[in-house]
Order: sequence, then C-alpha cells, then structure tokens
Amino acid sequence: MQLSTSITTLLWLIPLCCFIAFGLSALGKYFITRIYYICIGAIFCAFILSFLVLYQFVLSDEGVFTTSVDWIVIGSFAITWGILLDSLSVIMIGFVTFVSLLVQLYSLGYMLNDPRISWFFSVISLFTAAMLVLVLSDNLIFLYFAWEIVGLGSYLLIGFYYDREAASQAAKKAFITTRIGDVGLLIGILLIYKSTGTFNISSIIDMAQNGAISESVLTSSSLLIFFGAMGKSAQFPLHVWLPDAMEGPTPASALIHAATMVAAGVYLVARMHAFFDLAPVALPIVFCVGLVTFLIGGSLAIVMTDLKRALAYSTMSHLGLMMLSLGAGTWVVAILHLVVHGLSKSLLFLCAGSVMHGTGDQTDCWSMGGLKKNMKITAYGFTIGALSLGGIIPLAGFFSKEEILVSLTEYGGLWPIILIVVLAGVFISTFYITRLTVITFYGEARSDHAEKAHESSWIMTTPLVILSALVVMFGFILVPLPFVENYKGLGHFIDPQYKLHFVPWLSLLSIIVASSGLLVGWLFYGSNVISHKKMAVRIFPFYDFVVRKYKIDDLYQWVIDHAVLAFARLVSFFDRVVLNDALVNGTGKSVLLSSFRIKYLQTGRSYNYAMAMVIGVILSLAVWWLA
Amino acid sequence: MIDLVHFQVLSIALFCIGVYGFMARRSAVMVLLSIELMLNAVNINLIGFAAFSDFAESTRALGQVLVIFVITIAAGELALAIAIILRVYRNLKSVNIDQLDSLKG
Repeated sequence: MQLSTSITTLLWLIPLCCFIAFGLSALGKYFITRIYYICIGAIFCAFILSFLVLYQFVLSDEGVFTTSVDWIVIGSFAITWGILLDSLSVIMIGFVTFVSLLVQLYSLGYMLNDPRISWFFSVISLFTAAMLVLVLSDNLIFLYFAWEIVGLGSYLLIGFYYDREAASQAAKKAFITTRIGDVGLLIGILLIYKSTGTFNISSIIDMAQNGAISESVLTSSSLLIFFGAMGKSAQFPLHVWLPDAMEGPTPASALIHAATMVAAGVYLVARMHAFFDLAPVALPIVFCVGLVTFLIGGSLAIVMTDLKRALAYSTMSHLGLMMLSLGAGTWVVAILHLVVHGLSKSLLFLCAGSVMHGTGDQTDCWSMGGLKKNMKITAYGFTIGALSLGGIIPLAGFFSKEEILVSLTEYGGLWPIILIVVLAGVFISTFYITRLTVITFYGEARSDHAEKAHESSWIMTTPLVILSALVVMFGFILVPLPFVENYKGLGHFIDPQYKLHFVPWLSLLSIIVASSGLLVGWLFYGSNVISHKKMAVRIFPFYDFVVRKYKIDDLYQWVIDHAVLAFARLVSFFDRVVLNDALVNGTGKSVLLSSFRIKYLQTGRSYNYAMAMVIGVILSLAVWWLA
Repeated sequence: MIDLVHFQVLSIALFCIGVYGFMARRSAVMVLLSIELMLNAVNINLIGFAAFSDFAESTRALGQVLVIFVITIAAGELALAIAIILRVYRNLKSVNIDQLDSLKG
C-alpha cells in the first residue's frame, strides 16, 4: 500500500512537469530569454520520475496501479481524471520521456538561432505532456482530451514556420486529416458509453468479456476507434498528412515519428486489444489496413528524393507493420516494434536534421553524397539507424521484426502467403533505407554544399551517439538475458502470457531477405553494376505512378474540389441568398419599404389625427355593438 | 317635466359640438375648449343617469362623485394644456395648430 501511494503520486508529477513547463515557457517567454532550460529541466525530471516509477513497478508484485479523482459528477454520470499504470504504460512513459529528452537536448543546438525557440520548446513540452497523459489515462474520455491536445501540438509544430506557405498548408492538412479520424474515435467512445455506461477502459473490457456488449456495438465501436487510430498513426487512406508534416522543424519530426503523435494510434489499439479480440471482423480489417499501409509506404519511400520525405514514408510503412501485427492479435510485438522503430527513427531524423544543419537546409538527397567525409558521427549514426530499420542482425530492428514474422506463422491457414508478402515488404524496407543511406552519405559529393558540409555541434551529436548506442544494444533487452534472473524478454515483461518464440528457419530467411535488400540497394546505388536510371525508364509508367504517390493526394484534391467545395458552394449560396439576402436583409428592406408608404399617413395636420380618432372610436363602438 | 331623455339629448348635442370643434378648429385654444365641451357632455350624461336611476339610496351619489373626479382631472389637464399652448405661442407667435408640424418626416 505504501508503495502504491508513492507510485501514484509520482505518476501525477510526470505529465504535470511538462504541463508546467509549457505554461511557464508560453507565458514567460517575454520576460526570460533562456526559458527553454525550464522545458529541458522539466522533461529531465519527467524522465527521472518515469524511471523511478519503472523501478518501483518492477519491485512491486502488483501488476496494475490505478488512481483517479472526480472531475464532473452529474448524478450517476461521472468523468474522472484517472491514471492506469501497467506494464504497457510504464514502457510507454519511459520511452516517451526518453525520446523527448533527447530531442529537446538536440533542439537546443538545432533551434539555437531561431528567434522563436521559446515557443518551439513550449509546444514540444505540451506535446510530450499530452502524450504522457494519453498513455497514462485510465478512461477513454480523458484519453480523448489528450489525443486532441496531441493533435493540436502536431498542428503547431508542423506549422512552426507559419510564414512559409507550404508549412501552414501542411499543418492544416495534418490537422484536418487526423480530425477525420478523431470524429470516428469520438463516436466510437460514445457508442461504448451508451452500451456500458462507463468510460473506464478496464471496466469496458471486463463488461465486453462478460458479454454485456452486443456484437454489433463491439464491431462498430472497435472499427470506429481503429479509424481514429488510422488518422493519428497515418494508416492508408488517412496517411497523406505524414509526408507533408516534414515542413516542421526536424526535431519535431523526430518526436512526431518516434514517440508522440504516430505512436498514439498504435498504443490505443494495443490498449484496447482485448476489446478488439472480441469483435469478429475488427482484427482482420486492422490487419489488412496495416498490410496495405506497409507496402504502400515502403514503395513510396523508394522513389522519394527528399531525405525527410523518404523517412516519413518509411515511418508510415513501419506503422503499417505495427498495425498488421496488432491485427494478427500479437499486440505485444507491435509495442516492441513501436519502441524499437521509434528509437531507430528518431535517430534517423535527428541525423537528417544534422545533415540539414551541416549543408544549409538542403534535403534533396541526390544533391548530397559523400557526407561521410565531413560528418562522421552523423553518417555513422544514420547508418546504424538505417541498419536497425532494415532489420539487419544484431541491431534492435532485427529482433522486433523477427518477432512479428514469428507471430505471423500462427496466423490462420493463409500464413505462408502473408509471410511472403510481409517478407517482400521487409525487402523493400531494407532496400529503400540502403538507397537513402548510400546516396546521401557515401560515394562522391555531388554538389558544393555537400562538399563543404560540416559536422554539427556537440549538443546535437551527443543525442545521436546515445541513440546509436541504444539502437545497437536494445535488441538484447528484447530477448531473455542469461545473466538476469527471471527475465524472459521485454515482451514477457509487458504481457506475462506472451512467449518469445525463436524459429531458426524463419530467422535465416529474414536474414537472407534483409541482406539481399541491402545488397540490391548497394548494387543499384552504391556501385554502378545496375543503373537505377535505366530501371526507372524501363518501368516508367509504374515508376511515375508511384512518384505521384499513387495519385492518392490527387484523388483527395479532386474529391475536395468537386465534392466538398461544390457542396460548400451550395451551402454558401443558401447562406448568402436565402439566409442573408432574403431573411436578414429582406426583413430590414421590407420594413424600410413599408415605412416609405405608411409615412404619408403622418400628415402633420392635427385635424387629420382628430378625424382618425373619431372614426376609430365610432368603428370600435360599432364593433362592440355588433359583436 | 324634465326626463332622462332631455339630459341625454343635451349631452349628445354638446358632445357633437365638441367633436366638431375638435376636428374643425385651427386655434389650439378652441380645440381645448372643444375637449372641455366633450368632457362636460359626459358629465351631464353621468348626472342624468345618477338622478334617474333606480339604484339604492346609498349608491345613488356614485355618478355625482364620478363627475367631481372628471372635473378635477379636467382642471389639471387644462392647466397643462394651456401651459403648453403658452409655450407654443411664445415660440411661434401663433397658436395655429397647423403650424405645429416640425416632427413630420
């Protein structure tokens, strides 16, 4: 009991630190010049606190801690601010605070010369705080608030350079696209509330398992919740905002792609996994959406020439992989991949930011080349991140990908076909990241700015080194360690029912696939054995189709132009003509017009008035007489 | 023998004269006098009904009391109206009500 109290007190403090930092830095930026140190201090406190919580959590035998205070109580209806700490959220808070801390340290160097650095840091704090609330929340409505603040944070960060047209457009695109998903999520939450009468996640899952929720409600609400997750986690067809989100500052991209924004959707589905299990068609749909996203994102990442955009599509692809794994029913694996991919991807993005810093904000990777010569730490960091993302043994990415593949072998009768498709996706994944690494960092410099690139300052390279080291070592945390007693891998820690399987032939296969992806990528872009240009010409129609992002953005633009805007024009016509001209102005005009006519009654001659009075009296007498 | 009918005829005659004067006269003073005529026509009517009604002894005086009230109020009204007419005369050097049309739009 003593332990439980101290844990829950610490828990409240973790998001509170970041919220206070946000408030102070947003309000105090006019008074104190280096206010961002407050933000860094706050996130550092949150980081330390979350590891204290992790330590106490591991020591205690209880698996779940909850605490809540009432916020709104109306009769039997109550909304609470509640916290749920279990092995899933304890991993998430550690991960979020860690990545956010490194990103903020890095931003100290990256954003140093930006006049609006204080605002950047306050939004980052808000963003992190919202994500922490989201992962700690024990009820859906509280989670939804945090979910929306995360959306707000992403909007503010993507539109940070709001004076650039593209950035403000991208911010709007991200906000509106995720909003579409959020509406689904809200409806799903309310639907659940209608049939259970509670927002509390554990009670909802209990009731669902006891059969208190009808199957149709289960299916529809879980699909609606998944729709919300699709928006946040950039799943096809709501993925269009993610590549455009690259308009924001690069550290913000690192945070969005690793820990905060896109992780929210995967986390939500993982949190509600027991609910999804009970809905009959929900999981196959999650699986299919994940698979499509995995392949589309991977293929788009191959053809992008912009360093950050290629990374963005790679994130989308790996989010698809996580969703696929959630759909296969192995949510633990999805969370493992979320953490591993988040570490690799934040490393890659921070390296990309370092490249931009060193070359004067250039992002076109074809104009780079040979950066290894001048930017050793960045180049090696990027290579390590890329190898991990591509799933090369023994980096972290290999292990999480391996566990996803193993879990797929238990997926129904169709598993060989699915396995082949996913392996093809893994091949694509290794291929594009190899391409990106090789043409950016290796070979000859292709331009002046690549020739004269310089390494970033120590404050920026230190997070790169820490993340690289972690990416190299993290894989071993995922598997049972021989020298730690009772430790059966991180997956087992998250869910004791989960067992790590090791299938030798599959590992061999995945090593072969990943290595061949690496090799083919090298053949295409590192050496001149195969010319990628000739290849692109040979399959030009398809290549062109992919370069145009499968024309999905064009399709949306067409729909917006021809359906949404047409409807909007109709509504605005109604508003202008019927409401404004006819009703509002019409009333005024008719009064004016009638008064023009009636004013001639006012002759100004008093005997006319006297006559009117007499006639009036006579008429009213007559009426009284006759009635 | 004077009957209720005589009272009523007198009253109607006075009232019609009052109405005619109210409508036809230009001078504000004459309009005021016409209004007084109408009021007094009503008073005569009230007195007549009070005298010839078969009300109980205790309520017979009601009509006369009402007349007293009318006279009182008419006195107040007259004082106010004459004051207004005096102000109008000071400003316009005339009491012709046809000239009082500056509010006309």
